[in-house]
Amino acid sequence: MDSSLAEQQRILASDWGGGKSPFGTSWSKFMMWIFIISDALTFAAFLITYGFMRSISPEWPKQTEVFNMVLITFMTFVLISSSAVMAMAVGAARAANPKLAFRFLVLTILGGLIFLGCQAFEWTHLIEEGARLTHNPWGVPQFAASFFVITGFHGFHVFSGVTILAIVAIRAAMGKYSGDQVENAGLYWHFVDVVWVFVFAFFYLL
Amino acid sequence: MAEQHEQHKITYKLYLMTWGWLLVLTALALGLGYAPINERLKALLLVCTTLAKILVIAAIFMHLRYERINLILITFAPLVLAVILFSFTFPETLGTATHLIRVR
Repeated sequence: MDSSLAEQQRILASDWGGGKSPFGTSWSKFMMWIFIISDALTFAAFLITYGFMRSISPEWPKQTEVFNMVLITFMTFVLISSSAVMAMAVGAARAANPKLAFRFLVLTILGGLIFLGCQAFEWTHLIEEGARLTHNPWGVPQFAASFFVITGFHGFHVFSGVTILAIVAIRAAMGKYSGDQVENAGLYWHFVDVVWVFVFAFFYLL
Repeated sequence: MAEQHEQHKITYKLYLMTWGWLLVLTALALGLGYAPINERLKALLLVCTTLAKILVIAAIFMHLRYERINLILITFAPLVLAVILFSFTFPETLGTATHLIRVR
């Protein structure tokens, strides 16, 4: 009896044994990770579909001639910087420094808003030039279709991120925040940055 | 308290350094985008810089290096599934030679 109990405890203590907290995180952080994984699958499907459509197309427009690469690089810079500031906000929240956490969160939100502004500018410009979901002036219809769907979904994620961060920032200002809450919002924000890393490399540069 | 303060300084320094490295990798990716090299080599190198970037973001910004190994591994599930989806769909585009079943 004793040996089986000890065996059970040994299994529960191992990384794969399960037990009360098999992943060693709070439930909310674990749920955020599950959400991020499922969301990553959505974007993986988008990007692979885009790759497939591109490779079966007879030709693909040269991105550097269609897009304003200076603007895109600036957007990438802003998003990466906001991600770094977000990491510092989580550090400040964990150190129980709500004032500093609030300042970092506001900076992160500002980065998100600048990114969204640039994207709105880019979309307006391309739509004025005649880009639509069904056709575009540069080549195969799939070009503009994948552009709008991929950057549109990503942009909506940035918008959601800004909304979540605004709620967390207001709660931090009211002193009603917890380190976990800031960290979960931060995880989502970094994920949005990770998706942009993929979009930047495979949609704009490749 | 002073020791804790020192610890936070180190953390912020690490985040600043990570930020710097991410910008370097972004510049590298941008350079690759314009480099007059073979398309396949360019794709491979862009995959490498992208993977380096996401690993840095996940390990340091998302604190994945402090998590248990089972959580770390499940976060790689989408990447593995993406590779499977890619290897299923991509041979279709390479011409009839790769088709295992021919409809005739």
